[in-house]
Amino acid sequence: MPIRYEDGLARFEGLCAVDEALPLAEWLEATEAARVDLAACTELHTALLQLLLAARPALAAPPEDAFLRRWVAPLLAG
Amino acid sequence: MSALFDQFVGEARELLDTAGASLLALERDPADRAAINELFRAFHTLKGATGLFDMAPFTRLVHAGEDALSALRDGRRRLDAELADRLFRALDQGARWVDALESDGTLPGDADETARRLSAGLTGTPDAAPAVAPVAGLEWVEALDDAARRAAGLIDAATLTALVYAPDPECFFTGDDPLALCRKIPDLRLLAIEPAEPLPLLAGLDPYRCLLRFHALSGAAATEVASVFRAVPDQVRIAPVTLRALPGEAGGPEDGLAGAILREQLRILTLPGDSLDRDGRRAAVARAVANILGAQGHAVDRAALDTACADAGALRRFLDAARPVAPPVEAAPVATPSGRRALLRIEPERVDQLMALIGELTVAKSQLPALARQAGADSLGQGLKAVSARFDALVGELQHAALRLRLLPLSRVFEPLPRLVRDTARRLDKTVELALGGGDTEADKDILDVLGEPLLHLVRNSLDHGIEPPDRRAAAGKPPSGVIRVHAFQEKDGVVVEVSDDGAGIDPAKMRAAAIRKGLLDAAAAEALGDDEAVRLVFAPGFSTASGVSDLSGRGVGMDAVRAAVERAGGRVEIASTPGEGTRIRLVLPLTLSITRVVVIEAAGELFGVPVTLVGGMRRVPCADIRAVKRAESVVLGDRVVPVVRLRRLLGFPDDPRERSAEYVLVADLGGTGVALVVDDVRERADVMLRPMHGVLRGLRGYSGTAALGDGRLLLVLDLRELL
Repeated sequence: MPIRYEDGLARFEGLCAVDEALPLAEWLEATEAARVDLAACTELHTALLQLLLAARPALAAPPEDAFLRRWVAPLLAG
Repeated sequence: MSALFDQFVGEARELLDTAGASLLALERDPADRAAINELFRAFHTLKGATGLFDMAPFTRLVHAGEDALSALRDGRRRLDAELADRLFRALDQGARWVDALESDGTLPGDADETARRLSAGLTGTPDAAPAVAPVAGLEWVEALDDAARRAAGLIDAATLTALVYAPDPECFFTGDDPLALCRKIPDLRLLAIEPAEPLPLLAGLDPYRCLLRFHALSGAAATEVASVFRAVPDQVRIAPVTLRALPGEAGGPEDGLAGAILREQLRILTLPGDSLDRDGRRAAVARAVANILGAQGHAVDRAALDTACADAGALRRFLDAARPVAPPVEAAPVATPSGRRALLRIEPERVDQLMALIGELTVAKSQLPALARQAGADSLGQGLKAVSARFDALVGELQHAALRLRLLPLSRVFEPLPRLVRDTARRLDKTVELALGGGDTEADKDILDVLGEPLLHLVRNSLDHGIEPPDRRAAAGKPPSGVIRVHAFQEKDGVVVEVSDDGAGIDPAKMRAAAIRKGLLDAAAAEALGDDEAVRLVFAPGFSTASGVSDLSGRGVGMDAVRAAVERAGGRVEIASTPGEGTRIRLVLPLTLSITRVVVIEAAGELFGVPVTLVGGMRRVPCADIRAVKRAESVVLGDRVVPVVRLRRLLGFPDDPRERSAEYVLVADLGGTGVALVVDDVRERADVMLRPMHGVLRGLRGYSGTAALGDGRLLLVLDLRELL
């Protein structure tokens, strides 16, 4: 499971593809003070990124993947 | 436009092409008198031709080129790579202008500036007044503020490739992932991701519509960046831009809050929206700018300001004129590789529709023979039979004619190669000669689309890893200049494109060692590989032959991607290499994607198809020759041990209950690893129109599609690689 939901925290792992979009959208809507952990995420589908940009959950851990860390993480922080 | 003008457009393109080819030749051999004369003649004729019309900047530019060439011819000047670059740039600009003349009837508004800048480069005087020529969609580069540039480490002057990528909102459905695509941009220096329109609240957001837009700067050449976005050319704009060095930290006193507000105004002008939104914003921006400039004590020409608020580029130019601040960005559009004007442009979809209809017609007509049989031997039956035969012939011809509509010469995919080789060789300090052949070989447009990127990659790979640096070549007793040959020709089953070089070749021993080191194979398996198979490892996923990763050929994912792209199109890749002598890679592709030649096979009463390009042979193998270790069976074919796979088991059918002394075996060649596929029966070969699986069948793995045979029977075409 590329995204694991543990109350209030979504852990992204490995290749997170477009089929995660619907469950993620539902979870973000249903979860108050949601936090996401992107540390182990290696590939983040655009559909997931735009959900995160719209919902702006707190970033519990930034991605370790160099590309995501450099270009995507700053959009999600703060 | 007048006939004279049309003639000019055609002639100018030809002259520019001739000049480009001569310039390449001249750069290879600066003593080539024929090339320099040809080049001079081309510029001279162009000058005369442009003089007939009202296009003074164009005339000035070619005149400057002619002067430079005249000096070259008389030995007053020497052709160095720098001058060649400038001449190439002038030719590129000429091609862009011809395109603009053809579509708009006039040169773009910035032509004067551009001509002055390029001419100055040619005549050897330092670059004159900066020309700011924004490319539509790339205004964001001009609006880029210093803080963003500092954050991205883009402080020094640099020539970069700028990109704006506005994905189709529906792109997720076609399997695109724009962010993943951006990840592939070579030498990415800056990536800005922003919503194309304000993001709605989460509840109102459709997760399957792409709402983001991407801006990027890359250190790689525009062609290399463009090749990443090959599949979505309509959604990107790519052009080289020149960033000026940022001023030091003491960036000017006016650069306080007022500067920030002005920059924000520039950004506002780049925001998307309908025309009403934009008009409103323009008015607001004009007011804000007028107030700030007024407050700073500048005189403001309101009318000029209102005009300048049309777009960010114009406003920046206006601001620069109003306030003495160096603009940070100079953007020069690069010619999109626009094809030669065809006699008749037909959208590919229409031809596809025609092909689909012909497919339906084939199926419909196949019911005629049965009707004829039912009608019996009377005159009706005889008549039906005759009509049916006539239909057969006509549908065959129709199919052939429709296919020909889609054929284009392969020279189209060769077009970018000479410049790629020149520019890359120059960057790598190697001398390389490119020999192209067989450009008039024709193939389906879809095939050309598939071929383009792998071909660029193979040539780039040869340049990077194949051809050795001149000193290494000299030490090996080779001529200092390497040769890359790209040759296309037609074969029985399709089109072949061969890329060969006389470089270092691939050492099978090193390949084995690398495969072990990377954990792809264990020592025993690697040892058991023949030399040919070891060389084929370059196509294995995750394999990189270069000991150092070069920014040119990427990170070793390239060769695997080449193989995958070719195989997806129903083709195959072959490689042969001799250490010290060079490498030859062949791409074998079907003539067309719409028609696939398959071998029809039978298992458990069902018919299946296997693309002919994957079939290495068919034979009857005595059952006694099939050796079994537990359930794993194998057979020796030639001098190779080939695993045996039974199609019935593969597809979940029960085993064949019939006793037989020999099995029908189809030898499939799946990129080095052969497989002997046991089938119940091997039938005819057939040309079928492959239809992708639709609806509920779409998720089914192991099939590349369905096809109807000439007699109306349905066939499932196997995707062997996925099945095995």
